[in-house]
Amino acid sequence: MADPSDDLEDVLLVGRIAARDAAAFAAFYDRQASRALGLLLRMLGDRPEAEDVLQEVFLQVWQQADRFRPQRSSPRGWVLLLARSRALDRLRSRQARRRREERTAADRGDDRSEAAGTERLEAEERAERLGSALEGLPGEQRRAIELAFFEGLTQSEIAARVGAPLPTVKSRVLLGMNKLRHAFGAGP
Amino acid sequence: MTTMTDEAHARLGDLLPAYALGALEGEELAELERHLAAGCVACQRELAAWRRDLERLAAEVPEVEPPAAIRASLLARVAAEASPSRPPRRRLGYLAAAAGLLLFLTGATSWLRVSRRAEELAAEAVLLETRLATVSAQLVEAQAAAARLSAAMEVLSAPATRSVVLAALPGAPGARARTFVDPETGRAIFYADHLPPLPPDRTYQLWFIAEGRPVSAGTFAVDDAGQAALDVAEVAPPDRIQAWAVTVEPAGGVPQPTGEMVLKG
Repeated sequence: MADPSDDLEDVLLVGRIAARDAAAFAAFYDRQASRALGLLLRMLGDRPEAEDVLQEVFLQVWQQADRFRPQRSSPRGWVLLLARSRALDRLRSRQARRRREERTAADRGDDRSEAAGTERLEAEERAERLGSALEGLPGEQRRAIELAFFEGLTQSEIAARVGAPLPTVKSRVLLGMNKLRHAFGAGP
Repeated sequence: MTTMTDEAHARLGDLLPAYALGALEGEELAELERHLAAGCVACQRELAAWRRDLERLAAEVPEVEPPAAIRASLLARVAAEASPSRPPRRRLGYLAAAAGLLLFLTGATSWLRVSRRAEELAAEAVLLETRLATVSAQLVEAQAAAARLSAAMEVLSAPATRSVVLAALPGAPGARARTFVDPETGRAIFYADHLPPLPPDRTYQLWFIAEGRPVSAGTFAVDDAGQAALDVAEVAPPDRIQAWAVTVEPAGGVPQPTGEMVLKG
């Protein structure tokens, strides 16, 4: 788990990256990139796209290292948050593209919506296979948190996706996050 | 300023997890943002804790090795803007050691004096840095040190914090050490001075004994002045800690104590 001396080492590296130290950037990349790529793959499901975004993320690290604040998060947390934001941007433009395609298909009388449905099913299957603290949660709470975290949905979007009333979704998010806190607190 | 009932505040607090997830919207989002902007420290702390949970969730994804080509491409792009590396300096060591000695000597009660002194040290560090080298790298390092200091001060100023003095054993005559544990956060800080330096293949390791078993609280090194500080994220509640000890171990530390004990309390 996160070792304070690891974090300290990372904070020093980020400081040197802000001073334009390419060796520190390489060292930081070596320490953080595989976890970031893992998160991007989890969110995007597409290897070439995930690798693309990985490059964008680390270029952003290079450009914005002077904006990092150690009080707000660990360097690892900062990188993963950047990765998540960029992945959410990609997911939203994918969604917009798909909606445009579906409208076009509907106009033309095609039935291409099947492809979109398959992609969603695969994403859900992928969610099942993950081993993580989320697995300890009741299915509905886990689903709500996954949709919020890995797909960036708001509570009403989650409600629409899973077909549950909004107050129920709110309660699932709250209970699920409290269970996660407990799971992390009890861990090593 | 309108006073808020405990219930109303608790209701806002319940919105924090969704806010941390980015899933909050509409009127609830606006209300919580107004409350946070008004400066509620308790909620900001709680929000930071939820964000740390989400970082841990994000970090649980399996690692996936990127292809070497990505690393090469990034380094090529970065090379154009890079400056030559400088050898790392022990600025953090200086700051933490100076603050650590001060905190050790003043004890847990003079936190105002300590905080002013800590600000002075941090300000001094920044001045030295900007004179010598690039501003941003130095600021980040001073902020890291200040963050560690503020974590230490949180422990020292917490009302329930308990402190234990460790006494020197023959292996390190004249050494002194103290631990402070905040039972509410489980966070502990440890300071020692007059500890002799060790050869490069050895390190000091801090242990606490709970339920008859020693648990490692981390390894540390002393600086040129013979001082050391350690910030431990999680220890057992003070009631369950039977003793603290420092031993000399092989570099890198060991899972169970094997070496000579130099401090005990």
